[in-house]
Amino acid sequence: MLAIDVNNLNKKYKNFHLKDVCFQLEKGYIMGFIGTNGAGKTTTLKSILNMIHIDGGEINILGKNFIKHEMELKQEIGYAFGGIDYYTRNKIRQVTNVVKRFYKNWDEEAYFNYLKKFNLDENKKIVELSAGMRVNYNLALALSHGAKLLILDEPTSGLDPVARDNLLDIFQELVEEGEISILFSTHITSDLEKCADYITYINNGQIIKSSEKEEFINTYRLLNGGESQLHEVKDHLISYKINSFGFTGLIHTKDFDPSSNIKSTLPNLEEIMIYFSKKEEQHV
Amino acid sequence: MYNLLLKELKLGVSPFYFLLPFITGTLMLVPAWLYFVVLLYFCCITIPNLLAGYKSQNDLIFSIMIPVTKKDIIKARVAVIVILELLHIVAAVIYGMISISLYPNLNYFFYKPTIGFWGLCFIMLAIFNIILISMYYKTAYKYGAATVTSIIGAVLFAGGAEWLGIKNSFVFDLFKGASADNMAIQISILIAGIAVFAIFTIIAYNIAIIQFEKVDI
Repeated sequence: MLAIDVNNLNKKYKNFHLKDVCFQLEKGYIMGFIGTNGAGKTTTLKSILNMIHIDGGEINILGKNFIKHEMELKQEIGYAFGGIDYYTRNKIRQVTNVVKRFYKNWDEEAYFNYLKKFNLDENKKIVELSAGMRVNYNLALALSHGAKLLILDEPTSGLDPVARDNLLDIFQELVEEGEISILFSTHITSDLEKCADYITYINNGQIIKSSEKEEFINTYRLLNGGESQLHEVKDHLISYKINSFGFTGLIHTKDFDPSSNIKSTLPNLEEIMIYFSKKEEQHV
Repeated sequence: MYNLLLKELKLGVSPFYFLLPFITGTLMLVPAWLYFVVLLYFCCITIPNLLAGYKSQNDLIFSIMIPVTKKDIIKARVAVIVILELLHIVAAVIYGMISISLYPNLNYFFYKPTIGFWGLCFIMLAIFNIILISMYYKTAYKYGAATVTSIIGAVLFAGGAEWLGIKNSFVFDLFKGASADNMAIQISILIAGIAVFAIFTIIAYNIAIIQFEKVDI
């Protein structure tokens, strides 16, 4: 079963166009949604959640059309844009007492277990929580109402490495039983290398690739060669950088001849992002 | 809807705004004052502060994230505004009755707090609501222009009504002349005022639904 099924999502702004965005997330997996700042990550997530009016496309969540079943699906989704940044002068207890009334499957016991697990004090005001604790509080709220899908926009940004690592561990624990799926956007690619099963990469409003993580990385090769070798592959390179030793460039694996003398390695996600962004700069 | 109303009252609205009607209402005790101003305090103090509170507390994102329809979000918000308005009117009526009994032989240049006068107050708030609510939900967070315009609308009505009460013999007669003691006429004006208030607020609510549906969060 698909937790998220996005087809041909289109949204046009004056200076930005989300164009034919398509991707699918299988139930029980973690998908990392990567892209540079302004690539369209938040716009896509907001479009999925009907917070933005789309110009075209279809979005199905947990097998149901989101717009038609919005209220029903919101009961089964937990989502957050960053940490909690509303009613920050109120205590956790006050906010929870209001929030829980809206969910049919609210589990008070689970809520207190998560508070304990995340070391959250109900009597603290939200403003007193660190960035990591705010994300955890959001997760506690989502998980206590039995969310089957978590959609999180940059949950790790602003967290220290330890808090980030803890959060990623929690993500992995959550999907272990195959019931919960997570879609989270980030531009911190090391997060994904650690915990994502699938990667969807968006650049300038278009999905470059959406696939299983290993397959995603395997689609590209990072080439290192002398300046004289550049002309052999220049036309096939996604983009390249010239340095004192020659060049470094990114290429689709299918366009690369392994028998050539050019040294090739598997790129990491960061390198893929960098070279794709560079491609645009070179075209400008 | 009940949960949303509870959310508004527990998180959105400071208890101070429920106390304020009983503070501003004491101005009804000023002899022969311009009593429309007592209710205009709601428009000038409560509304901008309330809407600023929603904005600074990021209420829009909070409301959108919980499983409720946009229609219900507006319904709860309009209900809160109406509850506060009624509270202001009730408090002003109580103080108005005290004022009349304190100064029984006063000559009123402006309107006396008669039953009919409260009907005019309802109309003033009706005008305020229809401008405020329909303008506010164009963005659901920008409140400046909506507040200023709706206050201007309410003040123009109050000023116009007072002017007519002084200059127009028919209106003078209704509120300050022979008809002022005619209970049937006074109650009719009040009922008409309440009807205008209800109709305008319902229209405002429906315009807000259309406006809010178009808003990208």
